[in-house]
Amino acid sequence: MIRLIRAEFLKLRTTQVWFWLLLATAGLSVLLVVGGIAPRDGVRTARQVPDLFASFAASGPGYILVFVLGVLGVTTEFRYQTITPTFLQTPSRWAVTTAKMITYAVLGVGYALVALIAQLAVALPWLSARNISVDFGNSQIQHAIIGGFGVIALFGIVGLGFGALVRNQIVAVVVGIIFLLIIENVLLAIPVVRKAWPFTPNGGVQAILHTTGTTEVVDGVHLLPLGGGIVVLLLWAFVPAIIGAAYSMNRDIT
Amino acid sequence: MTAVSAPAGRIVVDDLSKVFRGQVRAVDRLSFTVEPGSVTGFLGPNGAGKTTTLRMVLGLVRPTGGRATIGGSPYRHLGNPSRTVGAALESSSFHPARSARNHLRIMCTVAGIPLERADEVLRIVGLYEVGKRKVKGYSMGMRQRLALAAALLGDPAVLVLDEPANGLDPEGIRWLRGLLRRLASEGRTVLVSSHQLNEVQEVADRIVILNRGRLVRSGSIEELTAGTDRVVVTSPDVERLQAALADERADITRTGPNSLSVRGLTNQQVGHTAFRAGVELHELVAQRSDLEELFFALTSAPSDPQAPPPGGGPA
Repeated sequence: MIRLIRAEFLKLRTTQVWFWLLLATAGLSVLLVVGGIAPRDGVRTARQVPDLFASFAASGPGYILVFVLGVLGVTTEFRYQTITPTFLQTPSRWAVTTAKMITYAVLGVGYALVALIAQLAVALPWLSARNISVDFGNSQIQHAIIGGFGVIALFGIVGLGFGALVRNQIVAVVVGIIFLLIIENVLLAIPVVRKAWPFTPNGGVQAILHTTGTTEVVDGVHLLPLGGGIVVLLLWAFVPAIIGAAYSMNRDIT
Repeated sequence: MTAVSAPAGRIVVDDLSKVFRGQVRAVDRLSFTVEPGSVTGFLGPNGAGKTTTLRMVLGLVRPTGGRATIGGSPYRHLGNPSRTVGAALESSSFHPARSARNHLRIMCTVAGIPLERADEVLRIVGLYEVGKRKVKGYSMGMRQRLALAAALLGDPAVLVLDEPANGLDPEGIRWLRGLLRRLASEGRTVLVSSHQLNEVQEVADRIVILNRGRLVRSGSIEELTAGTDRVVVTSPDVERLQAALADERADITRTGPNSLSVRGLTNQQVGHTAFRAGVELHELVAQRSDLEELFFALTSAPSDPQAPPPGGGPA
Protein backbone atom coordinates (compact mmCIF):
# COMPACT_ATOMS: atom_id res chain seq x y z
CA MET A 1 0.00 0.00 0.00
CA ILE A 2 2.89 2.35 0.78
CA ARG A 3 4.27 1.71 -2.73
CA LEU A 4 0.89 2.45 -4.28
CA ILE A 5 0.57 5.71 -2.39
CA ARG A 6 4.11 6.74 -3.34
CA ALA A 7 3.29 5.92 -6.96
CA GLU A 8 0.15 8.06 -6.77
CA PHE A 9 2.20 11.02 -5.57
CA LEU A 10 4.70 10.38 -8.36
CA LYS A 11 1.87 10.30 -10.92
CA LEU A 12 0.75 13.68 -9.68
CA ARG A 13 4.23 15.18 -9.51
CA THR A 14 5.04 14.18 -13.08
CA THR A 15 2.15 16.21 -14.51
CA GLN A 16 1.22 19.85 -14.00
CA VAL A 17 -2.37 19.87 -12.76
CA TRP A 18 -1.43 19.89 -9.08
CA PHE A 19 0.61 23.06 -9.51
CA TRP A 20 -2.11 25.13 -11.20
CA LEU A 21 -4.72 24.02 -8.70
CA LEU A 22 -2.35 24.86 -5.85
CA LEU A 23 -1.73 28.29 -7.34
CA ALA A 24 -5.50 28.77 -7.63
CA THR A 25 -5.86 27.69 -3.99
CA ALA A 26 -3.33 30.29 -2.80
CA GLY A 27 -4.86 32.99 -5.00
CA LEU A 28 -8.40 32.25 -3.89
CA SER A 29 -7.34 32.25 -0.23
CA VAL A 30 -5.83 35.70 -0.57
CA LEU A 31 -8.94 36.97 -2.40
CA LEU A 32 -11.18 35.61 0.36
CA VAL A 33 -9.13 37.43 3.02
CA VAL A 34 -9.22 40.67 1.06
CA GLY A 35 -12.96 40.25 0.55
CA GLY A 36 -13.36 39.52 4.24
CA ILE A 37 -11.45 42.50 5.60
CA ALA A 38 -11.57 45.26 3.01
CA PRO A 39 -15.31 46.06 2.73
CA ARG A 40 -17.06 48.37 5.15
CA ASP A 41 -18.91 45.43 6.67
CA GLY A 42 -15.69 43.36 6.80
CA VAL A 43 -13.87 42.06 9.84
CA ARG A 44 -13.75 44.75 12.50
CA THR A 45 -13.68 42.75 15.73
CA ALA A 46 -11.77 39.73 17.02
CA ARG A 47 -15.07 37.79 17.13
CA GLN A 48 -15.23 37.80 13.32
CA VAL A 49 -11.73 36.37 12.89
CA PRO A 50 -12.62 32.62 13.09
CA ASP A 51 -14.95 32.85 10.08
CA LEU A 52 -12.16 34.53 8.15
CA PHE A 53 -9.86 31.56 8.66
CA ALA A 54 -12.64 29.15 7.80
CA SER A 55 -13.42 31.02 4.60
CA PHE A 56 -11.40 28.89 2.19
CA ALA A 57 -12.92 25.60 3.31
CA ALA A 58 -16.37 27.17 3.68
CA SER A 59 -16.49 28.68 0.21
CA GLY A 60 -17.77 26.71 -2.76
CA PRO A 61 -14.81 27.59 -5.00
CA GLY A 62 -12.43 26.56 -2.22
CA TYR A 63 -13.57 23.01 -1.63
CA ILE A 64 -14.41 22.61 -5.33
CA LEU A 65 -10.71 23.09 -6.19
CA VAL A 66 -9.80 20.07 -4.10
CA PHE A 67 -12.88 18.20 -5.34
CA VAL A 68 -11.66 18.70 -8.92
CA LEU A 69 -8.16 17.53 -7.94
CA GLY A 70 -9.67 14.31 -6.61
CA VAL A 71 -11.91 13.82 -9.65
CA LEU A 72 -8.89 14.24 -11.95
CA GLY A 73 -6.89 11.80 -9.82
CA VAL A 74 -8.95 8.92 -11.13
CA THR A 75 -10.64 10.17 -14.33
CA THR A 76 -7.32 11.20 -15.92
CA GLU A 77 -6.32 7.55 -15.77
CA PHE A 78 -9.40 6.56 -17.72
CA ARG A 79 -9.03 9.44 -20.17
CA TYR A 80 -5.47 8.53 -21.12
CA GLN A 81 -5.96 4.79 -20.51
CA THR A 82 -3.14 4.72 -17.98
CA ILE A 83 -5.71 2.80 -15.97
CA THR A 84 -4.64 -0.23 -18.06
CA PRO A 85 -1.04 -0.34 -16.72
CA THR A 86 -2.37 0.66 -13.29
CA PHE A 87 -4.70 -2.34 -13.11
CA LEU A 88 -2.15 -4.62 -14.77
CA GLN A 89 0.25 -3.84 -11.96
CA THR A 90 -2.39 -3.82 -9.24
CA PRO A 91 -5.31 -6.05 -10.20
CA SER A 92 -7.18 -5.24 -6.97
CA ARG A 93 -9.52 -2.31 -7.62
CA TRP A 94 -9.91 -1.91 -3.88
CA ALA A 95 -6.16 -1.47 -3.41
CA VAL A 96 -5.95 1.13 -6.18
CA THR A 97 -8.97 3.04 -4.90
CA THR A 98 -7.81 2.94 -1.27
CA ALA A 99 -4.33 4.19 -2.21
CA LYS A 100 -5.86 7.03 -4.17
CA MET A 101 -8.22 7.93 -1.31
CA ILE A 102 -5.35 8.15 1.16
CA THR A 103 -3.22 10.10 -1.31
CA TYR A 104 -5.90 12.68 -2.07
CA ALA A 105 -6.86 13.10 1.59
CA VAL A 106 -3.19 13.84 2.37
CA LEU A 107 -3.07 16.18 -0.61
CA GLY A 108 -6.17 17.93 0.71
CA VAL A 109 -4.37 18.58 4.00
CA GLY A 110 -1.45 19.99 2.02
CA TYR A 111 -3.69 22.29 0.01
CA ALA A 112 -5.48 23.42 3.16
CA LEU A 113 -2.08 24.21 4.68
CA VAL A 114 -1.11 26.33 1.67
CA ALA A 115 -4.48 28.09 1.85
CA LEU A 116 -3.96 28.80 5.56
CA ILE A 117 -0.43 30.11 5.06
CA ALA A 118 -1.60 32.39 2.23
CA GLN A 119 -4.45 33.68 4.41
CA LEU A 120 -2.22 34.28 7.43
CA ALA A 121 0.40 36.04 5.32
CA VAL A 122 -2.17 38.61 4.21
CA ALA A 123 -4.50 38.70 7.19
CA LEU A 124 -2.07 38.93 10.14
CA PRO A 125 -0.31 42.21 9.15
CA TRP A 126 -3.59 43.71 7.99
CA LEU A 127 -5.53 42.81 11.13
CA SER A 128 -2.72 43.99 13.41
CA ALA A 129 -2.71 47.31 11.56
CA ARG A 130 -6.37 47.58 12.53
CA ASN A 131 -5.56 46.62 16.11
CA ILE A 132 -7.51 43.38 15.89
CA SER A 133 -5.65 40.73 17.81
CA VAL A 134 -5.55 37.15 16.55
CA ASP A 135 -5.35 34.68 19.39
CA PHE A 136 -4.54 31.15 18.22
CA GLY A 137 -5.39 29.90 21.69
CA ASN A 138 -8.98 30.89 20.98
CA SER A 139 -11.04 27.73 20.65
CA GLN A 140 -13.17 29.11 17.84
CA ILE A 141 -10.12 29.97 15.74
CA GLN A 142 -8.77 26.48 16.41
CA HIS A 143 -12.13 25.02 15.45
CA ALA A 144 -12.12 27.01 12.19
CA ILE A 145 -8.59 25.95 11.25
CA ILE A 146 -8.85 22.27 12.21
CA GLY A 147 -12.33 22.03 10.70
CA GLY A 148 -10.98 23.58 7.50
CA PHE A 149 -8.25 20.93 7.26
CA GLY A 150 -10.79 18.16 7.80
CA VAL A 151 -13.25 19.52 5.26
CA ILE A 152 -10.64 19.96 2.54
CA ALA A 153 -9.09 16.53 3.17
CA LEU A 154 -12.53 14.92 2.94
CA PHE A 155 -13.29 16.80 -0.26
CA GLY A 156 -10.23 15.20 -1.86
CA ILE A 157 -11.95 11.87 -1.18
CA VAL A 158 -15.38 13.19 -2.27
CA GLY A 159 -13.85 14.11 -5.64
CA LEU A 160 -11.97 10.86 -5.93
CA GLY A 161 -15.02 8.75 -5.15
CA PHE A 162 -17.18 10.71 -7.57
CA GLY A 163 -14.52 10.29 -10.26
CA ALA A 164 -14.31 6.55 -9.57
CA LEU A 165 -18.08 6.32 -9.87
CA VAL A 166 -18.40 8.30 -13.10
CA ARG A 167 -15.03 7.50 -14.78
CA ASN A 168 -15.64 10.03 -17.58
CA GLN A 169 -13.51 13.08 -16.86
CA ILE A 170 -15.60 15.82 -18.46
CA VAL A 171 -18.90 14.46 -17.18
CA ALA A 172 -17.51 14.08 -13.64
CA VAL A 173 -16.02 17.59 -13.48
CA VAL A 174 -19.00 19.35 -15.05
CA VAL A 175 -21.71 17.46 -13.18
CA GLY A 176 -19.76 17.76 -9.92
CA ILE A 177 -19.28 21.51 -10.19
CA ILE A 178 -22.86 22.15 -11.29
CA PHE A 179 -24.15 20.13 -8.35
CA LEU A 180 -21.89 21.75 -5.75
CA LEU A 181 -22.24 25.32 -6.99
CA ILE A 182 -25.75 25.53 -8.41
CA ILE A 183 -28.06 22.65 -7.58
CA GLU A 184 -27.30 22.81 -3.85
CA ASN A 185 -28.27 26.47 -3.76
CA VAL A 186 -31.36 25.93 -5.89
CA LEU A 187 -32.35 23.22 -3.42
CA LEU A 188 -32.29 25.82 -0.67
CA ALA A 189 -34.76 28.00 -2.55
CA ILE A 190 -37.45 25.34 -2.88
CA PRO A 191 -39.83 24.92 0.08
CA VAL A 192 -39.99 21.44 1.67
CA VAL A 193 -37.13 20.16 -0.53
CA ARG A 194 -34.84 22.59 1.29
CA LYS A 195 -35.11 20.37 4.36
CA ALA A 196 -32.69 18.04 2.58
CA TRP A 197 -30.06 20.74 2.25
CA PRO A 198 -28.27 20.06 5.57
CA PHE A 199 -27.48 16.62 4.20
CA THR A 200 -25.75 17.93 1.05
CA PRO A 201 -21.94 18.31 0.98
CA ASN A 202 -22.23 22.05 1.55
CA GLY A 203 -24.67 21.43 4.39
CA GLY A 204 -22.06 19.18 5.97
CA VAL A 205 -19.30 21.73 5.43
CA GLN A 206 -21.26 24.56 7.05
CA ALA A 207 -22.20 22.37 10.00
CA ILE A 208 -18.56 21.48 10.56
CA LEU A 209 -17.25 25.03 10.24
CA HIS A 210 -20.04 26.74 12.16
CA THR A 211 -18.52 28.55 15.14
CA THR A 212 -20.74 31.49 15.95
CA GLY A 213 -24.18 32.93 15.30
CA THR A 214 -27.43 31.25 14.42
CA THR A 215 -27.74 27.76 12.99
CA GLU A 216 -30.70 28.81 10.84
CA VAL A 217 -29.65 28.98 7.20
CA VAL A 218 -33.00 30.02 5.77
CA ASP A 219 -36.53 29.81 7.11
CA GLY A 220 -36.95 26.48 8.84
CA VAL A 221 -33.62 25.00 7.72
CA HIS A 222 -31.11 24.51 10.49
CA LEU A 223 -27.53 23.30 10.30
CA LEU A 224 -26.81 19.88 11.73
CA PRO A 225 -24.68 19.74 14.86
CA LEU A 226 -20.92 19.35 14.35
CA GLY A 227 -21.02 15.55 14.63
CA GLY A 228 -23.88 15.35 12.16
CA GLY A 229 -21.95 17.47 9.67
CA ILE A 230 -18.93 15.20 9.98
CA VAL A 231 -21.07 12.12 9.34
CA VAL A 232 -22.71 13.76 6.30
CA LEU A 233 -19.36 14.65 4.74
CA LEU A 234 -17.88 11.22 5.55
CA LEU A 235 -20.81 9.59 3.74
CA TRP A 236 -20.33 11.84 0.70
CA ALA A 237 -16.65 10.90 0.74
CA PHE A 238 -16.87 7.14 1.23
CA VAL A 239 -20.15 5.99 -0.33
CA PRO A 240 -19.25 7.02 -3.91
CA ALA A 241 -15.69 5.72 -3.45
CA ILE A 242 -16.93 2.32 -2.24
CA ILE A 243 -19.55 2.00 -4.98
CA GLY A 244 -16.94 3.18 -7.47
CA ALA A 245 -14.38 0.58 -6.38
CA ALA A 246 -16.92 -2.23 -6.24
CA TYR A 247 -18.78 -1.63 -9.50
CA SER A 248 -17.59 1.18 -11.73
CA MET A 249 -13.85 0.51 -11.49
CA ASN A 250 -14.55 -3.19 -11.82
CA ARG A 251 -16.11 -2.93 -15.25
CA ASP A 252 -14.22 -4.35 -18.20
CA ILE A 253 -11.23 -2.28 -19.24
CA THR A 254 -11.32 -2.43 -23.02
CA MET B 1 17.94 -14.24 -16.09
CA THR B 2 14.93 -15.93 -14.61
CA ALA B 3 14.94 -19.67 -14.75
CA VAL B 4 11.47 -20.88 -15.57
CA SER B 5 10.05 -24.27 -14.80
CA ALA B 6 7.50 -25.38 -17.34
CA PRO B 7 4.22 -24.95 -15.48
CA ALA B 8 5.28 -21.66 -13.88
CA GLY B 9 5.19 -19.76 -17.12
CA ARG B 10 2.47 -21.68 -18.89
CA ILE B 11 -0.59 -19.77 -20.08
CA VAL B 12 -3.72 -21.88 -20.15
CA VAL B 13 -6.88 -20.60 -21.80
CA ASP B 14 -9.67 -22.98 -20.90
CA ASP B 15 -13.10 -22.82 -22.52
CA LEU B 16 -12.99 -19.04 -22.41
CA SER B 17 -16.00 -17.04 -23.60
CA LYS B 18 -16.92 -13.37 -23.61
CA VAL B 19 -20.23 -11.85 -24.58
CA PHE B 20 -20.26 -8.08 -24.44
CA ARG B 21 -23.58 -6.54 -23.54
CA GLY B 22 -25.92 -6.54 -26.51
CA GLN B 23 -23.28 -7.94 -28.83
CA VAL B 24 -22.30 -11.19 -30.45
CA ARG B 25 -19.85 -13.53 -28.81
CA ALA B 26 -16.48 -11.81 -29.00
CA VAL B 27 -14.78 -14.97 -27.77
CA ASP B 28 -16.50 -18.33 -28.03
CA ARG B 29 -15.34 -21.31 -25.93
CA LEU B 30 -11.69 -20.77 -26.71
CA SER B 31 -9.03 -23.15 -25.40
CA PHE B 32 -5.31 -23.21 -26.03
CA THR B 33 -2.04 -23.45 -24.13
CA VAL B 34 1.12 -21.39 -24.46
CA GLU B 35 4.34 -23.04 -23.35
CA PRO B 36 7.45 -21.43 -21.84
CA GLY B 37 10.58 -21.15 -23.94
CA SER B 38 8.67 -20.49 -27.12
CA VAL B 39 7.16 -17.68 -29.12
CA THR B 40 3.49 -18.29 -29.82
CA GLY B 41 1.82 -16.26 -32.53
CA PHE B 42 -1.80 -15.41 -31.79
CA LEU B 43 -3.29 -14.79 -35.19
CA GLY B 44 -6.59 -13.68 -36.54
CA PRO B 45 -8.15 -10.98 -38.67
CA ASN B 46 -9.15 -7.69 -37.05
CA GLY B 47 -12.12 -8.21 -34.79
CA ALA B 48 -11.43 -11.92 -34.31
CA GLY B 49 -11.33 -11.52 -30.52
CA LYS B 50 -7.57 -11.51 -29.99
CA THR B 51 -7.43 -8.38 -27.83
CA THR B 52 -10.46 -9.44 -25.80
CA THR B 53 -8.82 -12.82 -25.15
CA LEU B 54 -5.54 -11.23 -24.06
CA ARG B 55 -7.41 -8.80 -21.80
CA MET B 56 -9.22 -11.72 -20.17
CA VAL B 57 -5.87 -13.48 -19.65
CA LEU B 58 -4.64 -10.27 -17.98
CA GLY B 59 -7.65 -9.79 -15.71
CA LEU B 60 -8.86 -6.59 -17.38
CA VAL B 61 -11.97 -8.12 -18.91
CA ARG B 62 -14.12 -10.53 -16.95
CA PRO B 63 -14.87 -13.73 -18.88
CA THR B 64 -18.51 -14.70 -19.40
CA GLY B 65 -17.41 -18.32 -19.13
CA GLY B 66 -14.30 -20.41 -18.70
CA ARG B 67 -11.02 -19.27 -17.23
CA ALA B 68 -7.50 -18.25 -18.05
CA THR B 69 -4.50 -18.94 -15.86
CA ILE B 70 -0.83 -18.05 -15.86
CA GLY B 71 1.36 -20.58 -14.07
CA GLY B 72 -1.82 -22.09 -12.66
CA SER B 73 -3.26 -18.88 -11.18
CA PRO B 74 -5.74 -16.39 -12.55
CA TYR B 75 -3.99 -13.06 -13.25
CA ARG B 76 -5.83 -11.31 -10.44
CA HIS B 77 -4.34 -13.74 -7.92
CA LEU B 78 -0.72 -13.18 -8.94
CA GLY B 79 1.03 -11.43 -6.09
CA ASN B 80 3.08 -8.74 -7.80
CA PRO B 81 2.11 -9.28 -11.45
CA SER B 82 4.82 -7.06 -12.98
CA ARG B 83 7.41 -9.53 -11.74
CA THR B 84 5.66 -12.47 -13.41
CA VAL B 85 3.87 -11.13 -16.45
CA GLY B 86 4.84 -8.25 -18.70
CA ALA B 87 2.11 -6.95 -20.96
CA ALA B 88 2.08 -4.46 -23.81
CA LEU B 89 -1.50 -3.97 -24.83
CA GLU B 90 -1.81 -0.77 -26.77
CA SER B 91 0.48 2.05 -27.67
CA SER B 92 -1.79 4.75 -26.24
CA SER B 93 -1.80 4.00 -22.51
CA PHE B 94 0.39 6.94 -21.58
CA HIS B 95 -0.26 10.36 -20.14
CA PRO B 96 0.78 12.69 -22.98
CA ALA B 97 2.37 15.26 -20.67
CA ARG B 98 4.46 12.71 -18.78
CA SER B 99 7.90 11.57 -19.93
CA ALA B 100 8.58 7.95 -20.83
CA ARG B 101 11.09 7.75 -18.02
CA ASN B 102 8.60 9.01 -15.44
CA HIS B 103 5.93 6.63 -16.74
CA LEU B 104 8.31 3.73 -16.14
CA ARG B 105 9.45 5.08 -12.79
CA ILE B 106 5.86 5.14 -11.57
CA MET B 107 5.57 1.49 -12.59
CA CYS B 108 8.86 0.72 -10.80
CA THR B 109 7.50 2.35 -7.65
CA VAL B 110 4.34 0.23 -7.72
CA ALA B 111 6.27 -3.00 -8.29
CA GLY B 112 9.01 -2.21 -5.79
CA ILE B 113 11.68 -2.27 -8.49
CA PRO B 114 14.67 0.12 -8.22
CA LEU B 115 14.07 3.26 -10.31
CA GLU B 116 17.28 2.64 -12.27
CA ARG B 117 15.50 -0.21 -14.01
CA ALA B 118 13.51 2.42 -15.98
CA ASP B 119 16.69 3.58 -17.71
CA GLU B 120 17.78 -0.01 -18.30
CA VAL B 121 14.63 -0.96 -20.19
CA LEU B 122 14.70 2.35 -22.10
CA ARG B 123 18.16 1.29 -23.31
CA ILE B 124 16.88 -2.16 -24.27
CA VAL B 125 14.18 -0.69 -26.51
CA GLY B 126 16.38 2.11 -27.83
CA LEU B 127 14.55 5.04 -26.22
CA TYR B 128 17.12 6.08 -23.63
CA GLU B 129 18.15 9.27 -25.42
CA VAL B 130 14.54 10.49 -25.70
CA GLY B 131 13.33 9.07 -22.38
CA LYS B 132 12.97 12.46 -20.73
CA ARG B 133 10.76 13.85 -23.47
CA LYS B 134 7.00 13.99 -23.07
CA VAL B 135 5.21 11.08 -24.66
CA LYS B 136 2.96 13.35 -26.73
CA GLY B 137 5.93 14.00 -29.02
CA TYR B 138 6.45 10.29 -29.64
CA SER B 139 5.74 8.52 -32.90
CA MET B 140 3.60 5.40 -33.02
CA GLY B 141 6.75 3.27 -33.25
CA MET B 142 8.29 4.96 -30.21
CA ARG B 143 5.10 4.36 -28.22
CA GLN B 144 5.25 0.69 -29.18
CA ARG B 145 8.82 0.56 -27.93
CA LEU B 146 7.80 2.27 -24.70
CA ALA B 147 4.98 -0.23 -24.22
CA LEU B 148 7.56 -3.00 -24.67
CA ALA B 149 9.88 -1.32 -22.18
CA ALA B 150 7.04 -1.29 -19.66
CA ALA B 151 6.41 -4.99 -20.29
CA LEU B 152 10.08 -5.83 -19.68
CA LEU B 153 10.31 -3.76 -16.49
CA GLY B 154 9.88 -6.55 -13.95
CA ASP B 155 12.06 -9.06 -15.87
CA PRO B 156 8.94 -11.25 -16.21
CA ALA B 157 8.85 -14.92 -17.18
CA VAL B 158 5.75 -14.35 -19.29
CA LEU B 159 5.25 -11.72 -21.97
CA VAL B 160 1.89 -10.91 -23.50
CA LEU B 161 2.14 -8.51 -26.41
CA ASP B 162 -0.82 -7.26 -28.43
CA GLU B 163 0.13 -6.27 -31.97
CA PRO B 164 3.60 -5.07 -30.92
CA ALA B 165 4.71 -4.63 -34.54
CA ASN B 166 2.03 -2.03 -35.33
CA GLY B 167 3.66 1.24 -36.25
CA LEU B 168 7.18 -0.18 -36.31
CA ASP B 169 9.26 0.39 -39.43
CA PRO B 170 10.88 -2.64 -41.17
CA GLU B 171 14.05 -2.11 -39.15
CA GLY B 172 11.96 -2.02 -35.98
CA ILE B 173 10.14 -5.20 -36.92
CA ARG B 174 13.45 -6.97 -37.46
CA TRP B 175 14.67 -5.72 -34.11
CA LEU B 176 11.44 -6.93 -32.48
CA ARG B 177 11.86 -10.41 -33.97
CA GLY B 178 15.36 -10.64 -32.53
CA LEU B 179 14.14 -9.48 -29.14
CA LEU B 180 11.26 -11.98 -29.06
CA ARG B 181 13.59 -14.84 -30.06
CA ARG B 182 16.06 -13.87 -27.37
CA LEU B 183 13.34 -13.67 -24.73
CA ALA B 184 12.04 -17.11 -25.68
CA SER B 185 15.54 -18.59 -25.71
CA GLU B 186 15.91 -17.38 -22.13
CA GLY B 187 13.04 -19.70 -21.28
CA ARG B 188 10.28 -17.13 -21.18
CA THR B 189 6.77 -17.56 -22.46
CA VAL B 190 6.07 -15.15 -25.28
CA LEU B 191 2.54 -14.71 -26.59
CA VAL B 192 2.35 -12.21 -29.42
CA SER B 193 -0.78 -11.31 -31.33
CA SER B 194 -0.97 -10.07 -34.87
CA HIS B 195 -3.43 -9.74 -37.71
CA GLN B 196 -0.57 -10.08 -40.16
CA LEU B 197 0.87 -13.51 -40.57
CA ASN B 198 4.21 -12.43 -42.01
CA GLU B 199 4.95 -10.50 -38.84
CA VAL B 200 5.02 -13.63 -36.72
CA GLN B 201 5.67 -16.36 -39.30
CA GLU B 202 9.43 -16.07 -39.02
CA VAL B 203 9.61 -15.77 -35.27
CA ALA B 204 6.82 -17.95 -33.91
CA ASP B 205 7.37 -21.57 -32.92
CA ARG B 206 3.70 -22.18 -32.55
CA ILE B 207 0.63 -20.49 -33.90
CA VAL B 208 -2.90 -20.16 -32.58
CA ILE B 209 -5.37 -18.99 -35.21
CA LEU B 210 -8.58 -17.33 -34.13
CA ASN B 211 -11.55 -16.26 -36.20
CA ARG B 212 -14.86 -14.80 -35.01
CA GLY B 213 -13.97 -15.63 -31.44
CA ARG B 214 -13.31 -19.29 -32.12
CA LEU B 215 -10.18 -21.35 -32.33
CA VAL B 216 -9.54 -22.26 -35.94
CA ARG B 217 -6.25 -24.11 -35.64
CA SER B 218 -3.30 -24.32 -33.32
CA GLY B 219 0.05 -26.03 -33.55
CA SER B 220 3.55 -25.60 -34.88
CA ILE B 221 3.95 -24.10 -38.33
CA GLU B 222 5.04 -27.53 -39.63
CA GLU B 223 1.96 -29.18 -38.18
CA LEU B 224 -0.33 -26.57 -39.63
CA THR B 225 1.05 -26.76 -43.14
CA ALA B 226 1.49 -30.55 -43.17
CA GLY B 227 -0.90 -32.32 -45.47
CA THR B 228 -1.81 -29.19 -47.33
CA ASP B 229 0.67 -29.69 -50.18
CA ARG B 230 -1.20 -30.41 -53.38
CA VAL B 231 -0.58 -31.74 -56.82
CA VAL B 232 -2.42 -30.08 -59.68
CA VAL B 233 -2.92 -32.40 -62.61
CA THR B 234 -4.51 -31.80 -66.02
CA SER B 235 -5.66 -34.55 -68.35
CA PRO B 236 -8.05 -34.90 -71.31
CA ASP B 237 -9.40 -38.04 -69.65
CA VAL B 238 -9.94 -36.66 -66.20
CA GLU B 239 -12.67 -39.15 -65.12
CA ARG B 240 -10.44 -42.17 -65.59
CA LEU B 241 -7.58 -40.46 -63.81
CA GLN B 242 -9.87 -39.61 -60.93
CA ALA B 243 -10.95 -43.24 -60.63
CA ALA B 244 -7.34 -44.44 -60.66
CA LEU B 245 -6.30 -41.91 -58.03
CA ALA B 246 -9.28 -42.78 -55.86
CA ASP B 247 -7.87 -46.31 -55.60
CA GLU B 248 -4.74 -44.77 -54.07
CA ARG B 249 -6.90 -43.16 -51.35
CA ALA B 250 -5.97 -39.67 -52.44
CA ASP B 251 -8.07 -36.63 -51.50
CA ILE B 252 -9.23 -35.39 -54.87
CA THR B 253 -10.95 -32.14 -55.81
CA ARG B 254 -12.21 -31.45 -59.32
CA THR B 255 -11.02 -27.94 -60.12
CA GLY B 256 -12.00 -27.68 -63.80
CA PRO B 257 -13.27 -29.67 -66.80
CA ASN B 258 -9.80 -31.16 -67.28
CA SER B 259 -8.07 -30.61 -63.96
CA LEU B 260 -7.85 -32.12 -60.51
CA SER B 261 -6.26 -31.05 -57.28
CA VAL B 262 -4.82 -33.98 -55.38
CA ARG B 263 -3.78 -34.03 -51.76
CA GLY B 264 -2.01 -36.84 -49.93
CA LEU B 265 0.17 -37.97 -52.81
CA THR B 266 3.48 -36.70 -54.17
CA ASN B 267 3.70 -35.69 -57.82
CA GLN B 268 5.79 -38.82 -58.52
CA GLN B 269 2.97 -40.96 -57.10
CA VAL B 270 0.35 -39.13 -59.18
CA GLY B 271 2.48 -39.47 -62.32
CA HIS B 272 3.04 -43.17 -61.67
CA THR B 273 -0.65 -43.82 -61.11
CA ALA B 274 -1.52 -42.04 -64.37
CA PHE B 275 1.14 -44.02 -66.23
CA ARG B 276 -0.13 -47.34 -64.94
CA ALA B 277 -3.72 -46.42 -65.81
CA GLY B 278 -2.61 -45.32 -69.26
CA VAL B 279 -4.00 -41.82 -68.85
CA GLU B 280 -2.53 -38.98 -70.85
CA LEU B 281 -1.29 -36.04 -68.74
CA HIS B 282 -0.92 -32.46 -69.90
CA GLU B 283 0.18 -30.94 -66.66
CA LEU B 284 1.59 -32.20 -63.38
CA VAL B 285 2.55 -29.53 -60.85
CA ALA B 286 3.37 -29.81 -57.16
CA GLN B 287 2.04 -26.83 -55.21
CA ARG B 288 3.55 -26.14 -51.83
CA SER B 289 1.02 -24.53 -49.58
CA ASP B 290 2.36 -21.56 -47.74
CA LEU B 291 1.12 -20.39 -44.41
CA GLU B 292 -0.23 -17.14 -45.77
CA GLU B 293 -2.63 -19.00 -48.01
CA LEU B 294 -3.61 -21.26 -45.16
CA PHE B 295 -4.23 -18.29 -42.91
CA PHE B 296 -6.47 -16.58 -45.43
CA ALA B 297 -8.34 -19.76 -46.14
CA LEU B 298 -8.83 -20.55 -42.46
CA THR B 299 -9.95 -17.11 -41.47
CA SER B 300 -12.08 -16.14 -44.45
CA ALA B 301 -14.26 -19.24 -44.35
CA PRO B 302 -16.88 -19.58 -41.62
CA SER B 303 -14.87 -20.92 -38.73
CA ASP B 304 -15.42 -24.57 -38.00
CA PRO B 305 -12.68 -26.53 -36.25
CA GLN B 306 -13.99 -29.75 -37.80
CA ALA B 307 -13.75 -28.43 -41.36
CA PRO B 308 -11.04 -30.03 -43.49
CA PRO B 309 -7.99 -27.93 -44.28
CA PRO B 310 -8.45 -25.83 -47.39
CA GLY B 311 -8.16 -27.66 -50.65
CA GLY B 312 -8.40 -26.21 -54.09
CA GLY B 313 -10.13 -22.95 -53.49
CA PRO B 314 -9.21 -19.90 -55.51
CA ALA B 315 -5.98 -18.91 -53.82
